[in-house]
Amino acid sequence: MSVPVLDLSQIVSGYDVINVLKGVSLTVGRGELVAVVGPNGHGKSTLLKTISGLVPLRSGEIRIDGGTMAGAPHLVAASGVAHVPQGDMLFAQMTVLENLLMGAYLAPDRAEMQRRLDEVYALLPKLADRRGQIASTLSGGERRMVGIGRGLMMGGRILLIDEPSLGLAPLIIEQVYGVIADLCKSGRTILLVEENPARLEGLADRVHLLDDGEIVWSGKPADLMARDELLTTYLGA
Amino acid sequence: MAILVAGLTSGALYALATIGLSLVWGSMGMLNMAHAAMLTLGGYVAFTAITTLGLPLPLGFLAAVAVGAVAGAALYAGIVRNLLRNDKPLFEANVMIATVGIGIALENAILMGYGGQPLRQPASILGAIRIGPMTLPYQNLFIIVVVILMMIAVSLLLNRTRMGRAIRATAQNRDAALLMGVAVNRVYLQVLMLSGALAGVCGILVSSMTQLSPPLGNDLMLKAFIMCVVAGLGNLPGAVAAAFGLALLEAFVQYAFGARWGFPALLFVVIAVLIWRPSGLFGRAEIRRM
Repeated sequence: MSVPVLDLSQIVSGYDVINVLKGVSLTVGRGELVAVVGPNGHGKSTLLKTISGLVPLRSGEIRIDGGTMAGAPHLVAASGVAHVPQGDMLFAQMTVLENLLMGAYLAPDRAEMQRRLDEVYALLPKLADRRGQIASTLSGGERRMVGIGRGLMMGGRILLIDEPSLGLAPLIIEQVYGVIADLCKSGRTILLVEENPARLEGLADRVHLLDDGEIVWSGKPADLMARDELLTTYLGA
Repeated sequence: MAILVAGLTSGALYALATIGLSLVWGSMGMLNMAHAAMLTLGGYVAFTAITTLGLPLPLGFLAAVAVGAVAGAALYAGIVRNLLRNDKPLFEANVMIATVGIGIALENAILMGYGGQPLRQPASILGAIRIGPMTLPYQNLFIIVVVILMMIAVSLLLNRTRMGRAIRATAQNRDAALLMGVAVNRVYLQVLMLSGALAGVCGILVSSMTQLSPPLGNDLMLKAFIMCVVAGLGNLPGAVAAAFGLALLEAFVQYAFGARWGFPALLFVVIAVLIWRPSGLFGRAEIRRM
């Protein structure tokens, strides 16, 4: 079996005296989309923040392509982790183009930066139309697209996407998930955090159910949707 | 016209001082209370380079810029880095108190080194140009031109370079900048060095209009703080606009009502702005980042 792109082994992290993650282990293989679902406030976003270094790792191990990784977020980004955080976290007073170029901050040269930009514009043509617009003036859906585009500009080995549907209208959510489906088809490796497991059917290869900082169930999205007791107990469905 | 030139000269000096302060606040959430002493240091360094070492004026400028940048780097390495590491929630208060101490120490070091008597800044241009009945001193024109060039340089740096984009990104969203691979601690170092270099130039220009003395920067910094608050802390274009606007107001008030009413007029404006728009004329409501 090939080395997974992301390999988490018994990771523990949290804030102040509280451990939010209490020994989470999972892997994401090359070209896979693995999803983490769970109720609010049970550690989904903390999981992604721990991988990207925004929340310090207390114990356990994070491996990217077999190499141990932990440390400051800018070093994690340099090792190929592209994090699309919850709520976009765009550079509000910069233009769309400047936001995208910030994604390629670590690109080795201008040619590579331009190649990534062309790729992002091909996938998200609306961003090309809006390139000169200040990010704070964009709609919620457009901001989400810029966030994803900026993550793609990082050219990382794995894309971490945190609740891309949060706060968006149903029609816009469909568009966002359409883009994520396109990313899957193009062979991107993705770890996706989502609250609604119904959106993962036909999209995710595997799904993990995270509750109170621990993975309590793992399997196929369709299997999760068939388990009424899990949906009721953990997701309030 | 003479009042206009005087106002523009003061505005240029205020703008240069304000940019240094605003840059540091905008990107780090740090009110650098040692900026006044760093500014004074720049004036004395140019004095020493030109008078004692006999260097030409451009090298005097360069020496002030270099020492200002080094002072900024030392401030980062000795104080800011450690405060950021220790207690981030209290950083804003801690760094303000710490830089008050650094400023006092630096001012007293200058006092011990050069004495308290005023010295003439050799980096000044004598003479004036006459246009009809008006006399425009070369020094005023020189200050306005230098400050405009500095502002263009800072603007190009912030908007056209990778380093500048990283500074702006860190100012707007520190965590997002980290996720993009920006080493924000290096950005903080760069910002403090840039601010120190600007303070160095500002110190030469201010002392060329007055005289060198250890408390040289204090009055200017007090006014620069007022400009920053009126503009909205951290807003660079707003700070420049506020600096020129308030300097012209000060010049006209001094002309119309007497010199002693200039500063109270500025205080009145800042109080009115704080009541009317607490985030400043051009400021955003959310300014905490640490």
